[in-house]
Amino acid sequence: MNATVTQDLSLFHLISSASVFVQLVMLALLLASLMSWWYIFRKWFLLREAVKQSDEFEDNFWRGADLNVLYQRAIGSRYTSSSMERIFVAGFGEFSKHKPGANADMMMDSIRRAMQATYQREMDRLESHLPFLATVGSVSPYIGLLGTVWGIMNSFRSLSSITQATIAHVAPGIAEALIATAMGLFAAIPAVIAYNRYVSDTEKLATRFESFMEELSNVLQRRVPTNQE
Amino acid sequence: MIAADRIYNVPSKEPRSLLAGVLALLVHIVFIAVLIFGFNWKDEHPESMIVDIWQNLPQPVPQPAIKQTAPPAPPEQQSRPVSEPKPEPRPKAESKPQQPKPAPTPIQASPPPPKKPEIEIKDKVEKPKPVQKEPQPDLEAQRKKAQEQEAREKAEADRLLREQEEQKKRELEAQKKREQEEQRKREMEAQKKREQEEQKKREIEAQQKREQEEKARLEAQQAAARAQVASEIGKYKAMILAKIKSRIVMPPDLPGNPVTEFNVTLLPGGDILDVRLRKSSGYPAFDSAVERAILLSKPLPLPPDPALFNEFRNLHVTVHYLE
Repeated sequence: MNATVTQDLSLFHLISSASVFVQLVMLALLLASLMSWWYIFRKWFLLREAVKQSDEFEDNFWRGADLNVLYQRAIGSRYTSSSMERIFVAGFGEFSKHKPGANADMMMDSIRRAMQATYQREMDRLESHLPFLATVGSVSPYIGLLGTVWGIMNSFRSLSSITQATIAHVAPGIAEALIATAMGLFAAIPAVIAYNRYVSDTEKLATRFESFMEELSNVLQRRVPTNQE
Repeated sequence: MIAADRIYNVPSKEPRSLLAGVLALLVHIVFIAVLIFGFNWKDEHPESMIVDIWQNLPQPVPQPAIKQTAPPAPPEQQSRPVSEPKPEPRPKAESKPQQPKPAPTPIQASPPPPKKPEIEIKDKVEKPKPVQKEPQPDLEAQRKKAQEQEAREKAEADRLLREQEEQKKRELEAQKKREQEEQRKREMEAQKKREQEEQKKREIEAQQKREQEEKARLEAQQAAARAQVASEIGKYKAMILAKIKSRIVMPPDLPGNPVTEFNVTLLPGGDILDVRLRKSSGYPAFDSAVERAILLSKPLPLPPDPALFNEFRNLHVTVHYLE
């Protein structure tokens, strides 16, 4: 019992004295955790920005601003424009390309398709890396468990050569093995939480984009007859 | 036209990806710091267990202290008897001789009265002499009347004078003898008094010697009792050690001669309440072997006298690997 007290149980000692396989597992988990946290923060900033820009654009749009002015401003800042702005640019650009006298139904179909394509692309951008978070959240506990099981197997195997087995012989091995599980859980828990949160956020944005597309196509359709006249 | 379409689909820059990376690193640094602090806390927790041991350690510390104080105590008491009797007899020797001295003086004062009556007796003895002399002038007047008678009387007077002188001489001699005898008696009495005083002194000294001897005997008995207790404690401690050592299954092939120390808390009856590693040998196998041996060897042999249990309540067991 107390014999373990005298042994060095510091974190670095435990990690450095672990077997190579467990060390590899821990390294992989550390990388996965780093990546997942990086994506967590990236997605957090991205989605927050997307929501903020969508709010601003919708405010401008429904305040009755001139569609041409909005279009020119969006083209001018196309590298920093928001997803909703891009959808608007795609739809209004397609609308302005059509010559007067064209078939109204065909024109509306092409506008819808252009907006749909941009919407897909934007959703793809917003949803990027979410599968990575899902993978880290679901797999890293298993990876950590594998390292733990491996470490415990080793510590028990080394126990077989000792005639007098005490918990002091097993404890360091189990402790260093359990670090792998701890790291796996540390990587998985935030990844799962972030994944669930970001999926719901992107779904909310997707519904906002879809409803904006419907509303914009209605506005443009109202303008078609005036062009024909 | 196609290129114009492409313009609108330039992917926008992702905001603050570098900041996200820095934040991710920060989170991990914080997590590792928490882990290290957690492990440090675990490292300190055994120290707080050592603090528990500290609570026990003060008991072991007093134990040696008691042992140390107990052994020194006899020498102190031995030294005290050596030192105390000396001061005690001295005042007695100084005071008792002083007390006897005043006592003899009244005794010396009382003898003079008997001397006076003796002198009076001498006066009485001397008085008859003038009475005898008075008749002599009467005889001399008769001698004037009768010269013959005078001559005879003179001869008789001479004889008487001679006899008187002789008597006086004899009386003087007798007086001298008496005085000498009285002196002798006084001297004798003084000698007797001196002898009595000396006897008293000797008796006092003898009593003191006896008291000292008795004290020495008592001390010797106490020391013997203590020695018995100490030997019994030592015997049982040896028995405990022997019993523990008989149960140790020594791990093979340890380098050097490691030493492990345990604090064992006992219950009355020899049951083991607690075994704590006090100082590890550095070989967990050896430590655990000794710990198991201690736990296996209960009940530990304890002396039947429950008064001695306090000596065994907290045992300090030291085991050498090679012995």
